[in-house]
Amino acid sequence: MQAERAADLLAAAHGVGDPFAAAVRATRTAITIADAKQSDHPIIFVNDAFLSLTGYDRDEVIGRNCRFLQGQDSDPDQVDRLRRGIAGGDEVEVEILNYRKDGSSFWNALHLCPVRDRAGQVAYFVSSQLDVSDRRRAEFELGDTRQRLEAAVEERTRELTQALEQKTALLHEVDHRVKNNLQLISSLLLLQNRRVTDPAVKASLRGMLERVSAIATVHRRLFQSEDVERFDVSAFVRDLVSDMVGGARRDDIQVKLDLQRVDIAASKAAPLALVISELFSNALRHAFPIGRSGEIFVGVTRADGDLRIEIADNGVGTENAAKPGDSGAGFGLTIIQLLCQQLKARAETNSTESGTRVVVHLPVNGAQT
Amino acid sequence: MTERPLDVLIVEDEVLLATELEFLLDEVGCHSVGHAMSSDEAVAMAADLHPDLALVDVHLRDGPTGVDVARRIHDDCGGVALFMTANVKRLPADFAGACGVIGKPYSQHGVRTALSYLTVCLRDGQAPGPPPIGLELAPAYARRWGLNHLHPAA
Repeated sequence: MQAERAADLLAAAHGVGDPFAAAVRATRTAITIADAKQSDHPIIFVNDAFLSLTGYDRDEVIGRNCRFLQGQDSDPDQVDRLRRGIAGGDEVEVEILNYRKDGSSFWNALHLCPVRDRAGQVAYFVSSQLDVSDRRRAEFELGDTRQRLEAAVEERTRELTQALEQKTALLHEVDHRVKNNLQLISSLLLLQNRRVTDPAVKASLRGMLERVSAIATVHRRLFQSEDVERFDVSAFVRDLVSDMVGGARRDDIQVKLDLQRVDIAASKAAPLALVISELFSNALRHAFPIGRSGEIFVGVTRADGDLRIEIADNGVGTENAAKPGDSGAGFGLTIIQLLCQQLKARAETNSTESGTRVVVHLPVNGAQT
Repeated sequence: MTERPLDVLIVEDEVLLATELEFLLDEVGCHSVGHAMSSDEAVAMAADLHPDLALVDVHLRDGPTGVDVARRIHDDCGGVALFMTANVKRLPADFAGACGVIGKPYSQHGVRTALSYLTVCLRDGQAPGPPPIGLELAPAYARRWGLNHLHPAA
């Protein structure tokens, strides 16, 4: 047969003692040589590595076209690439599923290279084949693992998003209830205040209403900001002063504000609001007896890392304002003392006949703009 | 002011809040025409009584129906609603046709100044200045009353 003759010729041309032929025969890489000048390019040489890779004997493969290695799951696109490479006389590299004699499959990294004769005609096709099944399996498993991981991450993200939505909804609900209940408490105090006639009781109720309003203003402000953890003291003071001066109906008292933006931790907002409310209320109610006009100054600044709140009036001073039996004012002072202790704040009062000045220093630590 | 007092409808499911609001309306010279506690009641009373202003809470006896009430008062009854709610952030961007919102918890003074301010706006079709603290106007009404997107400092 022609193929056997070509094989003989090849063996003769590269006889014993040729180191190149010995290398091809002995290498662990499977190698085949096909005759490009015969029809259907029969295999004319295979090395032992090829035989052990595919499970065939030498006489079962010599004279056949290489395509017997393909099977039902060989990718037709890769086969087509191979065919076009051969037809064009080009070098081709494909990874293709091939089959052994026993029917088992393996991934073949096939490299096909045309060899030309002196006239430039393609005389042989030399192919090397490498079993890359392990790598393909690892890649597949990796892809599979990644897919499962991605699915797990997606699922977890969905759960967390849902949990966050629920939490946000709950926060809104609680916030809503707190605000409504504060409104309810205010209404109760206002309604009772409309009923009672005793001036002392009225004053007590008014004092309590102011305190509840201060806390209510805190809650209205707290959720308006983007950051629910922080509380803008100056914005609060602006609201509080507007409410209290408006409520007092004392057009003869001017208010001057010097407000710097200072944020404090939300957890300190209510106690600080109560302190400011008491101090401002004292000035508003006691510094200026009916008939005496004047000015109240409120300053919010940052000084040496502390929040500094100054409330000063040019009224009659605490000595003159303190009336025996005015338990309301006494209770207010107690509240200020207790809350300053709680806040670790320092309050300095300076009262003369030309007015009262109270300065509160509150350490603000990290919670600042 | 010698003008006709503003007719105001209260839409609120908390009776104590509504009762206190009635006193307050009286004090600022408004006329309370009624008090509705559910959405059906509110729309029926608005259609019937033609108030100048309806103070509308979002959460009513039949659920969070206040937004719908405001829209129907605006669309069907040609009235003006003002929200009074603790859920300011959850109102639709167009305020459902309402003229603005007072956030709860509100203060007596805040409601008083808001009502005096709105009385002038509704009477003159022109705002006397920026809205007072505690009142936020709907963009459409701010434009209508000549404020051109002027909002109170947050």
